[in-house]
Amino acid sequence: MSILLTEEQQLIGQSARDFAKEYLEPMVLEMDRTGQYPAAVVKQLAAQDFLGLFLAGEYGGAEAGYVSLVEVVENLSRVSAAVASIMVNHALAAYAIQRWGSPEQKKTCLPKLAAGEVLGAFAVFEHGPTPGVGAGALMATKLPEGWALKGTKAFVRNAGVAGAYVVLACTDPAAGAKSLAAFIVNAKASGLTVGAPYETMGLKGCPMADLVFDNVMVTDTAILGGSTDGSAIMTETLALASVAEAAQTVGIGQAAVEHAAAYAKTRIQFGRPIASLQAIQTLLAEVAADCHLARLGLRYAAQLMDDGEPFLVEAAMVKQFLARFGAKMLIDTVQVEGGFGYSETMPLPRLFRDIAGTTLLEAPADYPEKTIAAALLA
Amino acid sequence: MPKLLVCYKWVLNEQDIKIRPEDLSLDTSRAKGKISDFDRNAIEEASLIVEQQGGTVDALSYGTPAVKQSVKDALSRGPNRLLWIGDPQAEDADALVIANVLAAAIRKAGPYDLILCGEGSSDMFYQQTPARLAALLGLPCVTFVAKMTLEGDVLKATRKLGDCTEQVSVTGPAVVSVLSEINKPRIPSLKQVLGAAKKPSEEIAIGSLGLAADELQPRAVRKSAKGFLMNRKNIIFKESDAAANVAKLVASLAAEGLA
Amino acid sequence: MSILTAEQKQIQAQATAFVAKEIIPFAEKFDKAGEFHPYLLDAARESRIFAMAVPMAFGGLEYSALTQAVVLEAWGYGCAGMATTLAASVLSMDSVLVAGTEAQKKQFFDPMVRGEIGSFGLTEPSAGSDAGNGKSTAVRVGDEYVINGSKCWITNGGYSSVFVIYALTDPAAGMKGISAFIVEKGTPGFTIGTVDHKLGIRSSNTVELLFKDVHIPAANLLGKEGEGMKIAMKTLDMARPAIASLSLGLAQRALDECVKHMQKLYPEKAQPGQTLQFKLADMRIEIEAARQLLYHAMNLRDAGLPYSAESAMTKTFSSDVAMKITTQAVQLMGAYGYTSVLAKLMRDAKIMQIYEGTNQIQRLVISRAVLAPARPAVAVQKGGN
Repeated sequence: MSILLTEEQQLIGQSARDFAKEYLEPMVLEMDRTGQYPAAVVKQLAAQDFLGLFLAGEYGGAEAGYVSLVEVVENLSRVSAAVASIMVNHALAAYAIQRWGSPEQKKTCLPKLAAGEVLGAFAVFEHGPTPGVGAGALMATKLPEGWALKGTKAFVRNAGVAGAYVVLACTDPAAGAKSLAAFIVNAKASGLTVGAPYETMGLKGCPMADLVFDNVMVTDTAILGGSTDGSAIMTETLALASVAEAAQTVGIGQAAVEHAAAYAKTRIQFGRPIASLQAIQTLLAEVAADCHLARLGLRYAAQLMDDGEPFLVEAAMVKQFLARFGAKMLIDTVQVEGGFGYSETMPLPRLFRDIAGTTLLEAPADYPEKTIAAALLA
Repeated sequence: MPKLLVCYKWVLNEQDIKIRPEDLSLDTSRAKGKISDFDRNAIEEASLIVEQQGGTVDALSYGTPAVKQSVKDALSRGPNRLLWIGDPQAEDADALVIANVLAAAIRKAGPYDLILCGEGSSDMFYQQTPARLAALLGLPCVTFVAKMTLEGDVLKATRKLGDCTEQVSVTGPAVVSVLSEINKPRIPSLKQVLGAAKKPSEEIAIGSLGLAADELQPRAVRKSAKGFLMNRKNIIFKESDAAANVAKLVASLAAEGLA
Repeated sequence: MSILTAEQKQIQAQATAFVAKEIIPFAEKFDKAGEFHPYLLDAARESRIFAMAVPMAFGGLEYSALTQAVVLEAWGYGCAGMATTLAASVLSMDSVLVAGTEAQKKQFFDPMVRGEIGSFGLTEPSAGSDAGNGKSTAVRVGDEYVINGSKCWITNGGYSSVFVIYALTDPAAGMKGISAFIVEKGTPGFTIGTVDHKLGIRSSNTVELLFKDVHIPAANLLGKEGEGMKIAMKTLDMARPAIASLSLGLAQRALDECVKHMQKLYPEKAQPGQTLQFKLADMRIEIEAARQLLYHAMNLRDAGLPYSAESAMTKTFSSDVAMKITTQAVQLMGAYGYTSVLAKLMRDAKIMQIYEGTNQIQRLVISRAVLAPARPAVAVQKGGN
């Protein structure tokens, strides 16, 4: 197994770069300004097979694997991490259904997700620290005709534009996390409302809102894979999120360090380009090194996924690494560009606001440490 | 159902080439390969024709063994089959040799209803290959094509010349060379990239083409390639009166024969 | 160690109350709009807080350095943008404190006592970290100077009544040919250019200043011709700790918001695990260390002792701490952090490492102090006991 890209993966990366240049560059500033969801661009993502990237051919997917996924996500993120966010969150729902869905569920849902006719979203987190616990948690009550979902999912990306939500709900308060089941819920379900959109620091254009369930009725066939123990679904899908978001972080960081390096070559102070000053060189070198190492780490985790190997620990490692060094990539590159780097007429402020959204630690914020330590100390 | 052939060249990406300031020589060590720009338009045009009316597209390339790197890239853009000739001597080939080799390969693999090329390659830009090919193959040649349709065996093309356009109609097989404005090559989708490996590709040994030594001997020899650096004059007109500055600028340009 | 006096504690309480009433409720609104609103000056007028550094002889509050730091920390806690408005105004008048005659001091301080603000005009597109590389000129003509050129990223520019402008009186002498001048708003030829839209401190007004044949009285020259950079450097030494104070308030706010959120998530018996607890502890340690370094630098200044290196250290440390803590707070609070005032705090923190001398310039100052050869305290005697 190699962490070097195959020819196809390199060509896929190139396609993603060309796509970003042609379709994202022209709209990225306006979208950041207005926060408007880029429906036209999402259609173009579908036309490139990006929305069914790792889905099986029988469902219309491209079967390109997870290394291809992170290649595409990184290259799109160099121009617009917001558009990449839409793609990533859709991918989480697609992944969960392909991985754990029954043949029926896969046949019903996946072709539409692959074609981009339906956008997906994956809703885990709530306002409380533990999904399924506390006031407002999403509870699923068993009834003769199926299940009634009541509660709130918080900060759901793609909320309001998705057609299908994969949501984790507690089916038995006494049993805690082991009773979290994953339900496939149609966005048009009666009783389901989308809260007011959140004003996010960055990644504007990728909608984020609460999902409020007021006795939303679903049938038994809505439970992903038929089991009420969805803990593996939650853990593994969130691990994929760690890897894919890491690709976003690295893409943003790469764009930033290249921009700052080009700036440093032309900015003359003290009679010379600031690129000739070691202070500047050190800032750039650290960012470039962190970016490079993170890229290798996330590609390794993606390769494990392609090989069908366990990847939870490696995903947690790259998440934790970027929790420490991700935002630093923009803290340091803005520093290189000084006052100019702080002006919203330049690109780095938007990248600064975007990168912070790719390294967030949702409650419980210590899960990367827990995952890694558990593996080490087993 | 037409049988099309498109020729393309695998060139160095000029954006990766650095010019050494000492002697203006070219540093190509970091340069990656790419399909020559106008050739992409040729491949796209051939693919579009076949998507609309059926048929097949063969892609053909002659270059150094590095051409092998282009196989999946080219096949991901629409062609059904790829033929390639990788020969270290291609490094020094001139337009005469290139045309001889391509024509020999076409004679072996053809006949074709239409042969497409780019107007010129993004590295050498000889603009000779299409015309030479046509002459060697005894076919009509239509160059500077900005728009074209193929109906049955009738090719209708719009040629874009310096200050006018020309409508041309050709019946029967022909060689065309296309301009970049003829189309906007689509970005290969994931399925197209992954499907490339499943399409047939065939390496043609240069020795199997039956060319004589003198047909492979370049007559035009490239002695050196140098970059071009623009040196700014750094003259600043900074009088307090704007009109005076303009007058000085005009006088300076006139002195250089520019105004 | 510094314990605040009773009077300082009272001033701190007043500042905290002012911030809670007049700044915190409006900070996010003006951050979103990305503009300064002069309501702030109206609200602060009666307290004369914009004259906190003005000597009492001129009607100001003449707060000690430490007291000013305490006030700025309170303002930084409320909104770094509005605190920048205050800090930058104090920065401008520091130049006049350093080099002004009594008449000049009156000219500059009177508006501040009235509740108006000032601007420090040194930076130009060609003169960022290379502060002495400005191109603006001031030509002596009779009993006037005529100023031509431009300044950029000038805080408060669009609302200031008085400005300290640095320009070349002797272009051939380079940095040594720069002089400092008082310029008043409304002087013919002096206009405000573009307004900068920033990543953070968006409620602070940041503009371009344009000078086209601006005639000012020769009496507006601060100090002597050619002393401009000396005055600027002394001014920045005095003013740098203001950024440390601002940053400290900002960092404290981020920690407090983080703790508030954590307490909501983990009420009563439930506790966040050690990993998270220790992250909070580290934040607390860094804030306390920043506070003590700042207070020490301010005590040195108030005691009339040299404090140049400490000034650079506290600016650097506090701003780095603020950047680190605000970043971590956003991260630890997940999507809540990304969609709340925490996001603003992180955006605001970034400029602290850049303005009033980047932290790289500060490190140059500090490393020179570190590496300077030490003078032997006692002559060494050879042999013997």
